Amino acid sequence: MRKTAMALLLLALSASAAAGAEKRWVVSEGTALKAEQSVSAASVTELPVGAELTLVEGAGRWLKVQTSDGKEGWVYAGRVSDTAPVAEVGGGEGLFGDSLQKSQITTAKADSARSIRGLSPEVAQYAKQRGTPENLKKELDRILSRKVSDKDIKAFLKEGKIGEYAQ
Amino acid sequence: MRRRYLSLLLVLTCLASVEARAGWQDTLQNLMNPESKESKILSGATQVVSSSQEMSYESERTIGESLALESMQRFGEPVNSEALQRYVNLVGNAVAGNSRRSTIPYQFVVLDSKVQNAFAAPGGVIFISRALLDILENEAELAAVLAHEVGHVAEKHALKSIRRAQFLQGVGTISAATMKGSDGKKFESMIGDMQATLFDKGLDKGMEYEADLAALETTYRTGYDPSAMVSVLQKLKKLQDGQAGNGSWFSTHPPLDERIARLNAGMEKYPDRASLAKLPGRFVKSVRGGKAAK
Repeated sequence: MRKTAMALLLLALSASAAAGAEKRWVVSEGTALKAEQSVSAASVTELPVGAELTLVEGAGRWLKVQTSDGKEGWVYAGRVSDTAPVAEVGGGEGLFGDSLQKSQITTAKADSARSIRGLSPEVAQYAKQRGTPENLKKELDRILSRKVSDKDIKAFLKEGKIGEYAQ
Repeated sequence: MRRRYLSLLLVLTCLASVEARAGWQDTLQNLMNPESKESKILSGATQVVSSSQEMSYESERTIGESLALESMQRFGEPVNSEALQRYVNLVGNAVAGNSRRSTIPYQFVVLDSKVQNAFAAPGGVIFISRALLDILENEAELAAVLAHEVGHVAEKHALKSIRRAQFLQGVGTISAATMKGSDGKKFESMIGDMQATLFDKGLDKGMEYEADLAALETTYRTGYDPSAMVSVLQKLKKLQDGQAGNGSWFSTHPPLDERIARLNAGMEKYPDRASLAKLPGRFVKSVRGGKAAK
């Protein structure tokens, strides 16, 4: 009886050890796996949004993690989450599949770099039907063409000594 | 993603048992009709697959940009200061890049409005009024308000709140052709419903609490002090005692005391918060040219 109980306990312990490998998901754009705990350290590899990582050790702002292909390094804690990011749905037929996810994101990024060229045909048609004043159409176009690049954001965070740029 | 496939498997298993005779195509087609048996099973079995998630990003964006036009008509045009708009876009994009939906483009707009308000159109166009900006004291507070709105976009709250709207029942992808004739009228009425939800009735209380907690996590991950979300709500509470502005951030949101209490409970996750950035100096310089809050 005692033997059975011990076996069950060992089984439970080994199962919990296997399940205990904590996972993290890359949530932020432009995340890199660093060789050391510093934003200025060399990058081991780039980590795409959605990449699953195993926590090796970590407390505090920098976590030591392993990628699915076995690379180890450090990642800033603010760039990962213990829940997966929201998946995008692409195209008209992307009801369940994620095969369109990549092209969808590419489209979204391309759109963020547009310059003033008028509203999309769909929104232009909506504005026409609603009789939206010309100045508001122009304002929307100006809003959509405003660009903030990843480089701009990094410089902004660095200037403010925010997050991984904190001293 | 694995969870999504598991949910799909679960849904399809349920569907297979009730509709064994129907072909897969029929089943999937019925799925699009919210009144069908299949669809009801679907919504009961899992919330992972909802009508908002069936919609392509382009369609979501079309809804958002149409709503953006209506928002400006109702609340006023953008403030005519490229420097101010750029600063708010930098803060907004910094937090959006660390949100649960970081891969879509976001635009942030300061509207010349006297009502303290902020709201998000589906797809990532986010507005904050000049009046709300005027009561804030530091960059962390601005980041908190914008992160709250990013949370609504990330979780597709506005879309989910109108998921039963007639327009969405039959239209998967919106095109310029969809905008004409009777479908165009349905689209307009859907945008009208969304305005009523966002500007008058307000979103579900649960959605607001979810966006509040998302703001804590997103600001913290970016490196801003997450308790700024609470200080913004406390400022609004002071205002609320003096007036009841229709269409403002407090009239369309759940009671502020309840939100503050929930946020304070959520704050335990961030014990080192006091050491994070607040940046009153950069905020005051960028927003008010150095002048203190109103």
